[in-house]
Amino acid sequence: MTTVANNSGKKLLAIIRHSPYGDSLARTSIETALAASAFDQAVCLLFLGDGVLQLMPDQEPGALGSRNLGRLLASLPLYDIESVYVDAQAVSRYQVKLENTPVSAVPLQPPEMVELLREHDLLLGF
Amino acid sequence: MILHTLNASPASAAFAECLRLLAPGDALLLLGDGVYCALAGTTARAQLDAAGAELYVLHDDVAAAGILGQTAGTSTVDIDGFVALTERFARQLAWY
Repeated sequence: MTTVANNSGKKLLAIIRHSPYGDSLARTSIETALAASAFDQAVCLLFLGDGVLQLMPDQEPGALGSRNLGRLLASLPLYDIESVYVDAQAVSRYQVKLENTPVSAVPLQPPEMVELLREHDLLLGF
Repeated sequence: MILHTLNASPASAAFAECLRLLAPGDALLLLGDGVYCALAGTTARAQLDAAGAELYVLHDDVAAAGILGQTAGTSTVDIDGFVALTERFARQLAWY
């Protein structure tokens, strides 16, 4: 069996700021998070600004020829990504219903988001 | 403490989101179109000053923008200065 080096216990926070189907960054951000988690890195996600649009339920991008990002998000707990946070102001701006999101997310105010950034060793902005 | 880099203009979502997460003790390096956020006398600049973070601008981008005389109150760095900042701050976050 191959031994995979545990990445020295560093905590990674992916900060996801783009809507799901406007460009490829949304998908890239989630895939990066999944890859990091697969290598036993502790991964948390923060959906910020337009990134909260990825949490809309009932996404149907089939006609665009895109894979369903909402469905990918629903699989996050299977990949040991348990901590998902979301920008409370953007949730309010876009009227996102947190009880219906593909993955459950904890809303944070700006001071709490600043704290979250400080608790992580690696910050990846998408 | 975090070194933020911003390379988007004051009208961008990246600017607004960076501003919300910028905290006292952090540093912000403005590069590319981000240098326009350093323009003295603008609303964007006043908002950055109020955040209480150290403000840096990348010299070559400020020169290209033609605003070398209009970023008073920020520190101008070259690429070596950028590298020095990355050495001073353990964590870096890119806004673009």
